[in-house]
Amino acid sequence: MTEYNGYSLRLYVAGQTPKSIAAIANLKKICEQYLTGQYEIEIIDLMKEPALAVRHQIVAIPTLIRQLPEPLKRIIGDLSNTEKVLVGLDIRPN
Amino acid sequence: MPESNRDPKLPLFKDADETVQAIHRGDIDAVVVMRALGGPEVILLHGAEEPYRLLVERMSDGALTAGPDGVILYVNDRLCELSGYPSARLVGSDLASLFEGEPPKFAPEVRAEASLLRNGDDALPVAAWSQPISIGGTTTTLVWLTDLSTHRRAEQIATAERFARSVLEQATEAVVVLSPDGYITHASGRAEQIAERPPVGCMFSEAFALEAQNTEDSGALARFSTESLDILLATKPFHGVEAKLRGERNAKSAFLLSAGPLVDDNKANVGSIVTLTDITDRKRAEEQQTMMVAELNHRVKNILAIVQSVAAQTVRSSDSLEDFADAFTGRLKALATAHDILTQTRWIGIGLSELLAAVLAPYRSPDEARVSIFGPAILLPARAILPLSMVLHEMTTNAAKYGALSTRRGNIEITWQVSGGVDKSIELVWLERGGRKVKASASAGFGTKLIDHVISHDLDGKTEISFDPAGVRLTIAFPVGGLAKRGAAASGAATE
Repeated sequence: MTEYNGYSLRLYVAGQTPKSIAAIANLKKICEQYLTGQYEIEIIDLMKEPALAVRHQIVAIPTLIRQLPEPLKRIIGDLSNTEKVLVGLDIRPN
Repeated sequence: MPESNRDPKLPLFKDADETVQAIHRGDIDAVVVMRALGGPEVILLHGAEEPYRLLVERMSDGALTAGPDGVILYVNDRLCELSGYPSARLVGSDLASLFEGEPPKFAPEVRAEASLLRNGDDALPVAAWSQPISIGGTTTTLVWLTDLSTHRRAEQIATAERFARSVLEQATEAVVVLSPDGYITHASGRAEQIAERPPVGCMFSEAFALEAQNTEDSGALARFSTESLDILLATKPFHGVEAKLRGERNAKSAFLLSAGPLVDDNKANVGSIVTLTDITDRKRAEEQQTMMVAELNHRVKNILAIVQSVAAQTVRSSDSLEDFADAFTGRLKALATAHDILTQTRWIGIGLSELLAAVLAPYRSPDEARVSIFGPAILLPARAILPLSMVLHEMTTNAAKYGALSTRRGNIEITWQVSGGVDKSIELVWLERGGRKVKASASAGFGTKLIDHVISHDLDGKTEISFDPAGVRLTIAFPVGGLAKRGAAASGAATE
């Protein structure tokens, strides 16, 4: 795996449920504002591939996983509480 | 969860607790469960299922949802098909990046056109529609894209053509489709039959030469020259104008002309459908009915006039109410009998000998030669039957009261001749013998007045009555306007 210095984030969603949509939007917003240019986001739709839930033991949707930097962090919910997301991902405001 | 696949870096209990908390707080709207056999399954929690989502999934158009900042949040399978990219590649990317060149300006209810970039293929022309929607408190935009490529367009047109053609083939009416400038683009079989020339490609007026039928409609049609009529039919609605088509082929047919314009999605005129409904039978039935009603009116008036006249005259000659009742009833019965005859022969008429036989039937028993009827076959016109019946009734009544039928030895001889070529006339002689002697004065009562009146007034004929001591002799002559039975031979043989 190549060295990546930024945030590698993986968001697990379920198709177009309201919270899934909200989570995607909110995550993008937060990343643009606080991690400009230093992030990559992967959206996993578990409606299409439920088996992928196993890797990170996803039970609740939406769930955001911070893969990088380590350690793994998990935040459950639609990410509408920005403060909570920043704390949970351990992002220092610029 | 199977232990072997689990990421070893995950803390255990803390996460489980957090998940439960999240569910309690309502922060999530779907969960993953393990099925007994087989892998994990996503269960949506109540309220999460958006009806529109199913619609979007299944649409035959490509659809996507984008956030307020233009980030694609979701794409349906069809869009992946159209673009050739997997959803993972498209979700999270910018909406504008889907398109070649300038991205379309999305506004609700407005159709934009754009070029969709495709993986390993030329950009695809698409029509884009957008609609803002709110999902879970976030305002997003739903965009859907329709494949406009010529290939698809050609397919659609071909399907529409086939459909239109099969509809026209089934049509039993004459139907044509006009382009906006008045040219016939499609025609049903019936339309081809009644047209002056093969209709497709002609202007409507070239294929169908119209003539309006009644004065209101001829106003409507005549106001327009053929050129403007063509344009009118292609662009304006036209309902139920009666028309005929010039030419021998369609001379006997009547049509109802209707036109309805066709509009496309943008409310632009794309032509019209013009129908010529054959109403020949309907019109004929209408005309017949009008005629029949008029005829009926006429006949009823006739009979009422006759009854009135008979009543008036009977009153004048009756000495008492009883007298009147007797006489009037008798005459009405004669009228009724005559009317019956007319109805049975459907008002066509009856032969003179048949009429005589019917009226005199009560006085002709097989073994008595009291009444003899002899003369050539001649068909009496309908108009002559009532008057003649009246006359015969009078003569018979008089004969029964005072004349040949009032004695056992009296008899009546009725003979007639037909003369004239085209304008035939009948001369009938009624001769009584062996009855009581009658005096001229006594007999100049009503009966003869009636007879005279009826023959001259209703039959255009002449009467001559003489009161020979031997018996009454009546001669009547009247025209029958050239109606004679074919194969005229002497009929009404003398009775024995």
